[in-house]
Amino acid sequence: MTDISDHNPPHESTSMIPAPENSSGEPRLLFNPPIDIYETPDGLVLYADLPGVDSEGLDLQVQNNRLTLFGRVTTDVPQSAQMLHQEYHIGDFLRSFILSDEVDHERIHAKLTNGVLRVELPRAARAKPRRIEVSGG
Amino acid sequence: MPIFRWGQPWDPFQDLEREVDRLLQGVNLTLHGVRFSRRFPQVNLFELDDSYVLTAEIPGIDISQLDVTIASNCLTIKGTRLPPAEAGEDAFRRQERFHGPWQRKIQLPDRINEDGMRADYSAGVLRVTLQKAPSAAARHIKVNEGP
Repeated sequence: MTDISDHNPPHESTSMIPAPENSSGEPRLLFNPPIDIYETPDGLVLYADLPGVDSEGLDLQVQNNRLTLFGRVTTDVPQSAQMLHQEYHIGDFLRSFILSDEVDHERIHAKLTNGVLRVELPRAARAKPRRIEVSGG
Repeated sequence: MPIFRWGQPWDPFQDLEREVDRLLQGVNLTLHGVRFSRRFPQVNLFELDDSYVLTAEIPGIDISQLDVTIASNCLTIKGTRLPPAEAGEDAFRRQERFHGPWQRKIQLPDRINEDGMRADYSAGVLRVTLQKAPSAAARHIKVNEGP
């Protein structure tokens, strides 16, 4: 049973691609954020690490069974700063997933705290086991 | 997304282009795979005229669990990132995010004023500002002529 799957094939989902230039003309990088997905009695919960993204920079959409998250990263390091040591690059986050019909799209709920996005994907009522009364004839 | 293109989009070359794309993306995958296994958190260090600024991507930390110390020009940041309490070990379908205790030590290139230290945590990014110690002004040493 699969309720959610990556929209991109694996080799694409982990690649880093340059995004189209923004209005200021600076090219921006685009990253796939690392995620966790686990099951609960009510459905699935998805976590995504989006450091540098606040609620204003987050865009979460569900359209045609596809859940897309986009996070725009803001940084306030002054231009005059000289980089001495760099382990990470500044870029935006994008990842999308295909949801199965077992997810109740209407009740998807999301919360962003300290750069971590939590998305609740409740199981649709019809996907829960239902007891069928059998009448004697 | 095409990464590599020949100048002329001739049909016989398209398969090769695709193959090169595939190879390049394979390389990216390898690099990214390294990224996952690399140290947590990732840090950047900047220098300004009068200070150093360290930024670290540490999403999802409670600031009460964040420990920032400095001793002998060595900055240490440490903490623990716990997995969601309600998730059992076998409930995970996908687990890519780092969980567990972590620690980073960063040696600063210059003396700093340990009193002028400031740390802020916002949107999962820690930012530590360290004032440089005022460097002693150059002093002339008089050279005496020998006998």
